[in-house]
Amino acid sequence: MEPSNDVALDIIITNVVAVFRTRCHLNLRTIALEGVNVIYKPEYGKVLMKLRKPRITASIWSSGKIICTGATSEEEAKQGARRLARTLQKLGFKVRFADFKVVNVLAVCSMPFAIRLIDFTKKNRPIASYEPELHPAATYRIKTLKATIQIFSTGSLTVTGPNVQTVATAVEHIYPLLFECQKPLRK
Amino acid sequence: MSSRVCKNCGGTDIDVDQARGDAVCMGCGSVLEDNIIVSEVQFMETGGGGSSAVGQFVAGDGGNPTFGEGFYTGVGRESRAQTLQNGRRQINTLGHQLQLNQHCLDTAFNFYKMAMCKNLTRGRKVVHVLAACLYLVCRTEGTPLTMAPFSCFSALNSLPRFPLQVNVYVLGKTFLTLARELCINAPAIDPCLYIPRFAHMLEFGEKNHEVSMTALRLLQRMKRDWMHTGRRPSGLCGAALLVAARMHEFRRTIKEIISVVKVCEATLRKRLNEFEDTPTSQLTIEEFMRVDLDQECDPPSFTDGQRKKRLKLLEEELEKKIGEVQGEIHEYQDEIEMELEQSRPKLRGIYASYAKTGRTQRLPDALDSHEREEEELKDVAEHLNRDLCDQLISGEEEEREGKEERPPRRGPSLASLLGPMPTAASLGLPESISKCIGEEKENDGDTENGELDLNGIDDDEIELYILNDKEVKVKTELWLKQNEDYLKEQKEKQERIAKEKELGIYKERKPKISGSKKRAPIHASTADEAIEKMLEQKKISTKINYDILKELNVKPSTSPAPQTAESLKGATPGAQRLTGRYRKPANVPLSLGTPLSTLGKSSPELHRLPLESSSTPP
Repeated sequence: MEPSNDVALDIIITNVVAVFRTRCHLNLRTIALEGVNVIYKPEYGKVLMKLRKPRITASIWSSGKIICTGATSEEEAKQGARRLARTLQKLGFKVRFADFKVVNVLAVCSMPFAIRLIDFTKKNRPIASYEPELHPAATYRIKTLKATIQIFSTGSLTVTGPNVQTVATAVEHIYPLLFECQKPLRK
Repeated sequence: MSSRVCKNCGGTDIDVDQARGDAVCMGCGSVLEDNIIVSEVQFMETGGGGSSAVGQFVAGDGGNPTFGEGFYTGVGRESRAQTLQNGRRQINTLGHQLQLNQHCLDTAFNFYKMAMCKNLTRGRKVVHVLAACLYLVCRTEGTPLTMAPFSCFSALNSLPRFPLQVNVYVLGKTFLTLARELCINAPAIDPCLYIPRFAHMLEFGEKNHEVSMTALRLLQRMKRDWMHTGRRPSGLCGAALLVAARMHEFRRTIKEIISVVKVCEATLRKRLNEFEDTPTSQLTIEEFMRVDLDQECDPPSFTDGQRKKRLKLLEEELEKKIGEVQGEIHEYQDEIEMELEQSRPKLRGIYASYAKTGRTQRLPDALDSHEREEEELKDVAEHLNRDLCDQLISGEEEEREGKEERPPRRGPSLASLLGPMPTAASLGLPESISKCIGEEKENDGDTENGELDLNGIDDDEIELYILNDKEVKVKTELWLKQNEDYLKEQKEKQERIAKEKELGIYKERKPKISGSKKRAPIHASTADEAIEKMLEQKKISTKINYDILKELNVKPSTSPAPQTAESLKGATPGAQRLTGRYRKPANVPLSLGTPLSTLGKSSPELHRLPLESSSTPP
């Protein structure tokens, strides 16, 4: 089993989701009417606000809970969240920046080889599952890390986990398993 | 029991006569018991002259036998037993539709019982769980069934329901959860299993076997060429069968294959194209049957990705070259213009601004020359420092210009290239640098007291996110107009609630997700009326032509045959009683003569008499 230290794999974080609370009630209509990049969704009871600088979309509920998606790193998520809070403050609400937490991180990674999914699934039952009728990728869930990895036959992986460190650990964890069932790519 | 010792004489010699049902003491002759309940098998004569046993078969798991004809919910029946019986009934019906043998159905029922024990049925529709159990059985047995037939059920419950079409993905999710919880490892589907089944459905006649063999060979080739991972097996089978059929001179159109295999045309075409890309497709038929190429291809999605990457690289290179050439051209252009300016000194002054229109390609009146310079410098900074400044400055630029078009990117003017480094840009930089490099300190105090840390947040920029008063007014108008309907609805709702509050009958009503309303029994004088009323009550199906339905004659014999299965299932579930046990959707005519009162009640056919299920004794 080849240790993963020898190969430098690029793990690219594509999405970071974070939540925080403003600890005050927000009037969605005011936000919708006075903000620049907002979309009001009355049937869902929320307002979508999109920021440009860190590219972030935030869902704002009237209870004061806000979910930020679209950031590419944890720091960016925090920064975007703070900007958002500042904007709301300027609109006149007494917002406070409380309970900020990164909830989900999505990353993609590409292996230099193709993978035999059926072999992989057979070896790693029941942690891995593969249903070609439903989804082209095999799903591997690591319970201890609470991470899910989707493995495609071309060698690309999609990893989701609660933070960036978990994602890196998950990739390291799964690399040897994938290496066993590889098929070299004919580039 | 008193039959051991006689009460009168104390003797133990008791004669029990089963025929008369007496227990008599042999010593003193006193009758101890009369009308003893016997548990013997009795026989009676059947119509044909043979004899059959009297009694009912009871299921081994202790489900109560039903008494008489109706679906009699006896007193003291457990909910669990009821659910299990319900489930068993449905599994049997559905299984017979799909032609599964009794063993499979029993296994499926066992799965269902296990699922109940683990509370997997909570929060899920019964039909979904049942379908998942059946599918699990099929997978473990290796029966070649795709998920598609499972999703075409109708829910045969005690209440006549609208036919449910289970979404394949919902079914899949349930199936996966089930397999995981019950720790059952379902082996992966091999598309080769489906070939005989689909070939049979395509009716190749005598050459069935040969075509199947060819298709199997093709499929194996596809596997080696990595076309099968991550794809639906039915799509591959369809493509293989199509080619195999053509190879053996059978003309099967794509439409026929699609109806059998249940994939869409686009998928089939794609598979065929992918197969075309492989080297095997170049072989002739005889060669293919003899020779097996060693070379394995890459997965098609990978080759696609590589191709896109290459194209992208080429494009980028091209752009770079264009950029360079453009830069050169602009240099020359600027040089020429400088020369021209020098040779036309009288145009300075008030006409200077007009002369410069051609150079800038923008409305010169709108912009100050100072601002223009700043913009130039910004463009330079962009060009030179793409990564850092691009977003920051372009963002600001966009804000400032507002609705004006962004000026097309020009190469740096000579003056600014040779002159001092752009100052405006360098002013803009420190801010972004401090933001990106010198990260804000993590304030634990942040989360404790919830104070907002303003470090690194540019207030001015945030000002831009907020509209001023006039803009607010405009937006309010637009928004109100856009959301008129919703606002009206809300107002009405509020009024309604207020009224009810006054009357004191207001209740917090949560919207019910499952629409199982108790329907009032339909009272109608004629069949037509009843149909109309029923159609109003039930959800409208898109597959039924209601106009024709209403025009139908009441006579059952003249009812037209081409009705979809859904309409049959939805319209008259009571019809099954007349046509027999197993519903073959295509053959059951719509019989309007069935008493519509059965629609409001449970369908008696659905209840299976235990006698009938004893056809294969356990």
